Amino acid sequence: MSKAYAVIDCGEGRGKVLFSSPGFDAGAVTQKIDLCDQKQIWISGNDDMEQENEKLRQLLLEAEAANTAKEAFLSNMSHDIRTPMNAIVGMTALAKKHIDEKARVADALDKIETASAHLLSLINNVLDMSRINSGRMQIAKAPFFLSDLLHDLLIIVRPQATQKRHTLRFRRGKILSEYLFGDLLRLRQIYVNVINNAVKYTPDGGEITIFVGEEMRGDQCALIFRCEDNGVGMSEDFLQRIFQPFERVQSTTASKIEGTGLGMSIVKKLIEAMDGTIEITSSLDEGTAVTVTIPMAYEDVRMDTSALRGKSMLIIEADEDVETVYRNYLGEAGLAYHIVPSFPEAISALTEADYGGRQYDVAIIGKKVEEADNIFDMAAYLKKAYPNLVLVLVSEDQWSDIEYRANRSGIDAFIPVPFFRKSLVNGLNRALSGQEARTDDFGAPDLRGKHILLVEDNEINRMIALELLKSTQAQVDEAEDGQQAVERFIASEPGHYDLILMDIQMPIKDGYAATKEIRHSGRPDAAGVKIFAMTANAFAEDIAKAFDAGMNGHLSKPIDIQQFMRALRTI
Amino acid sequence: MQPYQEQYIENTKEISRLNNGRFDADGEFSQWLETGRQADEKMEALRRENVRLLNDHLFPQLDGIYDAAPEAIADLEAFAAVLMDWSTNLDCGVYVLIHDSLLSMYRIRRDRTNVIKELYLLGMGLYYQNRSLSGIERKYTNPYFFQNEMVFTEGGSYLKFFPEIQEEATKGYIIRCLANIAICTPDYKRRIRVSARILNIVQDADYRAMAPDLPWDTFLRRTHQQMSSNRQVMGRGDLSPQELMQVLESCVEVFKPEAESATPNVRWLWPYYEMEYTCGFADVKTTAERLEHLIRGASYDQYDVSGLYANVQLPINYGKLMRNNPSLQENPARVAFLAEAYEKMMRTMMTYPGEKSNDLFQYYVRLVMCDYFEMRGLESYRSVLEKLLRHFFGRLYVRSRRTGEMLARFCETIIEQSPDFFDDIPFLKVCDSPERKRAALRDYALACGLFHDLGEAKMNMQRVWLIRNPFEKEHQMAMLHTQAAYDEFIHRESTRMFADVALGHHSWYQGGGYPENYVRNQSPYRQMTDVVAVVAHLIEQAKDGPEAAIQSVLSQEGTRFSPMVTAFLGEDSLRRDLAAMLTADDAPFYREIYDAEHAV
Repeated sequence: MSKAYAVIDCGEGRGKVLFSSPGFDAGAVTQKIDLCDQKQIWISGNDDMEQENEKLRQLLLEAEAANTAKEAFLSNMSHDIRTPMNAIVGMTALAKKHIDEKARVADALDKIETASAHLLSLINNVLDMSRINSGRMQIAKAPFFLSDLLHDLLIIVRPQATQKRHTLRFRRGKILSEYLFGDLLRLRQIYVNVINNAVKYTPDGGEITIFVGEEMRGDQCALIFRCEDNGVGMSEDFLQRIFQPFERVQSTTASKIEGTGLGMSIVKKLIEAMDGTIEITSSLDEGTAVTVTIPMAYEDVRMDTSALRGKSMLIIEADEDVETVYRNYLGEAGLAYHIVPSFPEAISALTEADYGGRQYDVAIIGKKVEEADNIFDMAAYLKKAYPNLVLVLVSEDQWSDIEYRANRSGIDAFIPVPFFRKSLVNGLNRALSGQEARTDDFGAPDLRGKHILLVEDNEINRMIALELLKSTQAQVDEAEDGQQAVERFIASEPGHYDLILMDIQMPIKDGYAATKEIRHSGRPDAAGVKIFAMTANAFAEDIAKAFDAGMNGHLSKPIDIQQFMRALRTI
Repeated sequence: MQPYQEQYIENTKEISRLNNGRFDADGEFSQWLETGRQADEKMEALRRENVRLLNDHLFPQLDGIYDAAPEAIADLEAFAAVLMDWSTNLDCGVYVLIHDSLLSMYRIRRDRTNVIKELYLLGMGLYYQNRSLSGIERKYTNPYFFQNEMVFTEGGSYLKFFPEIQEEATKGYIIRCLANIAICTPDYKRRIRVSARILNIVQDADYRAMAPDLPWDTFLRRTHQQMSSNRQVMGRGDLSPQELMQVLESCVEVFKPEAESATPNVRWLWPYYEMEYTCGFADVKTTAERLEHLIRGASYDQYDVSGLYANVQLPINYGKLMRNNPSLQENPARVAFLAEAYEKMMRTMMTYPGEKSNDLFQYYVRLVMCDYFEMRGLESYRSVLEKLLRHFFGRLYVRSRRTGEMLARFCETIIEQSPDFFDDIPFLKVCDSPERKRAALRDYALACGLFHDLGEAKMNMQRVWLIRNPFEKEHQMAMLHTQAAYDEFIHRESTRMFADVALGHHSWYQGGGYPENYVRNQSPYRQMTDVVAVVAHLIEQAKDGPEAAIQSVLSQEGTRFSPMVTAFLGEDSLRRDLAAMLTADDAPFYREIYDAEHAV
């Protein structure tokens, strides 16, 4: 019998039904609920009651679970936020106490910087989780070179691996296309997370191998990334929970491991958002292998090797894998090269060639040479003995870290590792064409004769940007909001501006609106003028929005000098 | 040779002569001091003259080397040959400079014969120049040795042209270059590989036939000697059977005939015994007894090559044997023997009548500095160093003593005003009374002054500075003196407290200076290092007057020098005393040398 009710007057009109729902049966009342003014609700029937109660119990359990999760979240967050905060507060006090002692203050600031970075990453992770959970996350599809992604990746993770004396190996599989379309930032986030876990959970002196390869799957290129370590591994039980927030491997050997416990949840969700997969195999005390496969759109890019034809190259490289890459890329282009594993053999080859009447044009000092500690001394020696020999350094280091020594030793060009066809050929092209080949990411390009419109409402930000632009020697005009920017652009001679650096959030007219107006201004240069967004909103959707508005690029704020200069180099 | 070249050689020889007898004069202290000062003045005048000769003549000549006439080149070669002829090292730096320039010139002229010759000569020059770096951790000296290795490697790479090269001398240079790669490389496996290759070449009938007049048998003997020098790594356990066999074969070839002769020379006999020990043919007890026998067999006043070997090298080897075999350290008789052997060693060193700055003798001075084994029951390393400094490096001793006295005065003010200033230094923190703390600090400051530049002695840098101003490369090498001292101090109990001071006194407070591996914040001795940096700078700048020196320090307050230290320079009495000490007569320090010399 289904449930029905009636409101009954129990006062003067004792037992009078004031109103009732259909099916009410006064003879089968199962519950009476007191109301005010001597009125009661009588409920008849109980066949659905158990079901309802069960539902309510479930809801209650879920609510309690959610509450527990919330408490656990808060407890974790509280601990994780307090830890770096303790360092910040403590080191600040220490710095104040020794304010006259610069070195101690500097040391304290270093520690504060580290703790702040950790705190920031924690907050970023929490925000990421929030965005993912609320479905507000977007995945960009912008072009990028795989070698750039991997070089950046190794630069980021190598210091921690080195600190723990890990052997960090990079292996490449078949690379079908280096030019891919995807969300570079998010891909980097995924890979860095995975490798960082390997570093964290592998005891000192361990081995981590990163593999990257591509496979065709339908009309898409599947980018396969695998990270293997011989670290503490994970139990079957933990493997089931690894993608849950705040889960961390606990073990005696990894008891001091720091982290938010959100990384792998985010990784999983990002991979899913890219239609990819993640597989983890692991054994306790043996190690872990994580394989991430993501389908990507790609494009074939042909490299112009004409400038390299007829040139003779000596490659000093002891890594057989890399040697194979040279053979593939240079060999298939029909270029002349000779590979030796060590400096003494390079000297022999150069001497022999020199007096044999067939001198080398380029010497590539490879990623792995037998005398790795002496690369710059060797370069200096070669440059002195063979002043016309173009020296190209292939290195896993960041150029800014080695620039001084490389320049002093006479190195003419730099190719970052890992490299594929594009970076190798481009590097050699630049070196042989005598162009400024150094990828001096921090150095300002020479923009004499170029005109830049800087649109920024915040005075301090404007000053910083102006200071950076000053070193380029470009002519810079300023606008304080979107409206002024449009007016200045309209008032200028067509083709006057080579670049507009556009803030997004501004009074009167924001950057998106201003850009749209410029693009629709009807001037001959309206479509062609380069406009870069400069915004602190660095999410993929902001980037997408900037592109939608007609912008050509996106620079995050606070300004990253390296990124800023790289953008300027494109004009 | 050109007149300026002859003059330079004459001046340099005279400096060497004056320097050698600088502290050996007879007579009363005042006469001894006066004679020494006159020698100093003469040496300084000659040094200035040398600088002028190089500025006015050599450098312009090297500037125009590409257009040099054959006679000028011949003169340069002759000049260089006198500056360094393997037995006399008058001025290795100028020798290297000349041959480096000649090499560049011959490269431009594409004169292969002379390129090969110059590669060999330059390689030899670099080898001798790099001797001052021995005993310094290899990672800091690697660039210098690597350059040397590359020069010989390039010279050796012409082996491919051996058949077509006409001149036998050039072929000889190629073989020598190849062989000498082994004397530069730190990688013993590469050394063995290189020597094995040369052994094959020099025994190859075809090569011999292509240059019949070359001294092939000498090459063979020398290569065996070179190969046998790897005997010390035989015990490491990472040599392949073939490598072991190659080294062993050379050891037997070189040492066995001597060892089995009726009157074996100790210089061959000990290596043979050493080889037997590292190969496991003789146990440590037998080896120790053999060493004891050889050491006892030499009288302290045997100063010839074999005598020095027996009196200095062998006690040092005995100390190494003891260091590597703790069981020997537990035997009082062996410890007593080593104490006696070390005592005899020091007596030989202190009474050595020959030229103290020559390469061979300096090798022994450095050997003692680098390999003296310190343990209970033996004279402390610190005490030995003090004797060596006073006896062989008189000028450095005087300067270091002055530094020590000024440091002690500086620290007196600091601790008076700020009693816990040096409390990061463990042994000062635990002093239980202010008097004890002051006394301990004074002793420490005096010793820090004395030892902070010990690296200069270890690298024998005075030798170049007496002749002329250092070249850029020599200056760079000299910067390693901080590391040179640190490497020794840190490994011995009696000197560990001076290690950071020696390492960091050229490092800047806010970053900069050298070396990079001194991390101020990690050193408990940083406050003393800061004070040493200030005092050393005051002494360096004293030539412009004490006030100018103090102003120079103050102008770099907070950048180069710790503001916590420079703040004390505001104290009038300290400032006055330091100024007075900067200009005070150094006779008392010379007196210490005189008294010690005449007590021997």
